Amino acid sequence: MMSPEEIIAHAFDRFERPLISYAKEITGDLEAARDAVQETFLRLSRQDILRLEPRLTPWLFFVCRNCALDHVRKVGRFAEDSAENERASDDPSPDASVMADEDSVRLRELVSRLPQQQRELIKLKFESGLSYKEMAEVLKTSVSTVGVQLHGALQTLRQHWNRPTHITS
Amino acid sequence: MNDPRITSYALGELEGPDREAFKRELAASDDLQKHLNETINLTKALGALPMPNEQLENRSALLEQCAKNQSRRRKTNILRLAVPISLAAAASLVVVALLNQAGTPAPAILAVSAPAEKSADEIVRSAPQNISLTQQEVKQPAADTRSAVVMEKAKIAKARQMGAARGAAARAATDFDGYIHYGSPIVAGSDVVVADSILTRSGEWNTEGYNAIRENAFLDVKQNPLSTFSIDVDTASYANVRRFLRNGTLPPAGAIRTEELLNYFPYNDPAPKDAAPFSVNLEVATAPWDAERLLVRIGLKGKEIPASERAPANLVFLVDVSGSMNEPNKLPLLKRSLRGLVENLSDRDRVAIVVYAGSSGLVLPPTPGTRKQDILAALDNLQSGGGTYGSAGIKLAYETARENFLKEGSNRVILCTDGDFNVGVTSQSELQKLIERERASGVFLSVLGFGTGNVKDSTMELLADKGNGNYAYIDTPNEGRKVLVEQMGGTLFTIAKDVKIQVEFNPAQVAAYRLIGYENRLLAKEDFNDDTKDAGEIGAGHTVSALYEIIPAGKKIPGALSVDPLKYQTPAPVVSGVPVSGDLLTVKLRFKQPDGDKSQLLEVALATPESIPFFDQASSDFRFAAAVAAFGMKLRASPDAGNITWDDMLRIARQSLGDDPGSYRAEFLTLIEAAKSLALEPKTDDDKSPTQP
Repeated sequence: MMSPEEIIAHAFDRFERPLISYAKEITGDLEAARDAVQETFLRLSRQDILRLEPRLTPWLFFVCRNCALDHVRKVGRFAEDSAENERASDDPSPDASVMADEDSVRLRELVSRLPQQQRELIKLKFESGLSYKEMAEVLKTSVSTVGVQLHGALQTLRQHWNRPTHITS
Repeated sequence: MNDPRITSYALGELEGPDREAFKRELAASDDLQKHLNETINLTKALGALPMPNEQLENRSALLEQCAKNQSRRRKTNILRLAVPISLAAAASLVVVALLNQAGTPAPAILAVSAPAEKSADEIVRSAPQNISLTQQEVKQPAADTRSAVVMEKAKIAKARQMGAARGAAARAATDFDGYIHYGSPIVAGSDVVVADSILTRSGEWNTEGYNAIRENAFLDVKQNPLSTFSIDVDTASYANVRRFLRNGTLPPAGAIRTEELLNYFPYNDPAPKDAAPFSVNLEVATAPWDAERLLVRIGLKGKEIPASERAPANLVFLVDVSGSMNEPNKLPLLKRSLRGLVENLSDRDRVAIVVYAGSSGLVLPPTPGTRKQDILAALDNLQSGGGTYGSAGIKLAYETARENFLKEGSNRVILCTDGDFNVGVTSQSELQKLIERERASGVFLSVLGFGTGNVKDSTMELLADKGNGNYAYIDTPNEGRKVLVEQMGGTLFTIAKDVKIQVEFNPAQVAAYRLIGYENRLLAKEDFNDDTKDAGEIGAGHTVSALYEIIPAGKKIPGALSVDPLKYQTPAPVVSGVPVSGDLLTVKLRFKQPDGDKSQLLEVALATPESIPFFDQASSDFRFAAAVAAFGMKLRASPDAGNITWDDMLRIARQSLGDDPGSYRAEFLTLIEAAKSLALEPKTDDDKSPTQP
């Protein structure tokens, strides 16, 4: 149906922003995240696209994750400060009106306090819409582990989110 | 409560018996319900978090590089596989060289053209011309892809400084300048060729997807007495063509589906008198582009069903609210169009709304038409935002439709999107299978396309086709009103499904014929009586037109057609005493009731009139349809358009406007004018200043 070039272009349109956002979660650095995403698509372009297509989504995130981790290994810095980075660099997008600003800032902050792997799962699920099965492929783990970890993440968030008192850091 | 099933359930990941068991526990425990509700609220909040709007800086260069890598990759494979058949390759090289001299575009644009499902070695067999390209290509040292991109990056940064605002506007204006699909000799051999890439001459990518269309050729009646096709009530191509012309660009050939242009307009065919769901009307006259030839119009008119009598509707709108819908001609236009539909709902109808984006969800549970205010309020509250991907969106929509299934009514999911139908099922084939499965359960799918630049035209048409539905493209509030208010019956209420047409031509009267349009809808002659073969649907009040161009018996068939007489076939003996039939042709129709599995047959013969009416004597519908067909052919630069001019079309259309309810025909005049001025303008490749619409 779609040609390989169309599939690549379509994947690019659809995943460019989610992939950058995901890679940045790992590298903590926007430029490194962009490099990882560029590398991901270059690698994609050397694959047999038609054969890859049914599991294209997990493939992209898996490769992007590895590229991002390579960067982290080389630079030797882990994205401990991603929360600060994020708030500093995120342009207020027009979409922000969807939710009251304060709420979204608070929720973002709650997410940034989660452990690394849980943060990744939140990104994969809520920004990119991956299924449990796809997330398990990306993180090379089992579907039930994904289920338990994501539930754990939501559990932590829920406890703070539904309690309107402010938590101090 | 440390039960991961809560989260799984909230995210639609719990399936089958686990889901049922969980539902039972849920019903028994208030605590669990509270926990679940909180979790659902949280997932909504998370799904609505704005995604950082970061993009790559060198997007087009990267995509270009990706395309190069991909075609190099395939070519290398071809070369490897081609070595054992080098003799054959050498022979075909000569052919390719000739073809290239004959004026096909530069080799760089000649990407491998082969149906996407084919494996590399099949490509070798089906497209030997690629081998010559491969050999040229391989001699060049393979550049380091990464550094090429980096170099491009610098160039682009420079270009940015020079003209920051050019971006989107320039891109829209330069779309589709360098087409190679239609009429290119390298694609000969298969009926519908998948356009391999939409790479324009300027190297820019456009993500709109169109399949190339090869026009039907004249067929010799002796070899092919039967012509079989499925009806098509889609109209999207017309609105899309209009968009191109209004933006000052000629549409690419692949975007012009002549049958959809024809069927965009209402015609005055009489409604059926008896119990049949539609009437069949035939008319013949000379062709406006060649008085030696005839034109036959087949017109179907679906039964009109007054709003008070029509079956109740169970509609689920599946609305794309991803960030890309946040443009005036997308979500706001969608809301406005749907508002018109809601105002016309009857009390027995039900409407639900499912959205998909970063997360998907039911924003309006099935609500009866008596509560229009609630439905309108839910529509008004739709906002775009979040990611571009929603899981389980389409599944949820179908589930909602099935849970409220109206046995006696019309059950339909209406997908509204700008082309990112990433509705939670990853691969295309999976999506198609899902739609086909749901069709069997009685829930049909219609697709409404919005916006520009990312319209996956071919896929959207295909999805609606697989879902027994129609595909309309909405680009203006007027178009929204036409599709969802004026033609609501046709858009939403199927009166007959799997409608197939088979025409048998009488060789005593007809030498050759050509079906205009319907290239994507052709069926094998055996499919006509095969009730398992899917075909098009006709809605209440719909009119469907098909045109055949006919070369009468005794007239010469254009040279390309001549086939040597068959050696081993004995021609049917002429039985003396049996008079030769005076019929020109017989039209047979097969259709099923909307809920039926067995088809019914209708047959109408068209006698050859004693004297064929001249074109100018034909009905206004006939003449108008001919003008539209000529417009389609001319836009596609079809050799079959003969020497008809834009001015001829203008004259014919102007004289055949008729009553023109809705002024659609009058609007068509403005499109002919636009096409005329664009076609006459000398086209230059380098001067691509954005044209104002």
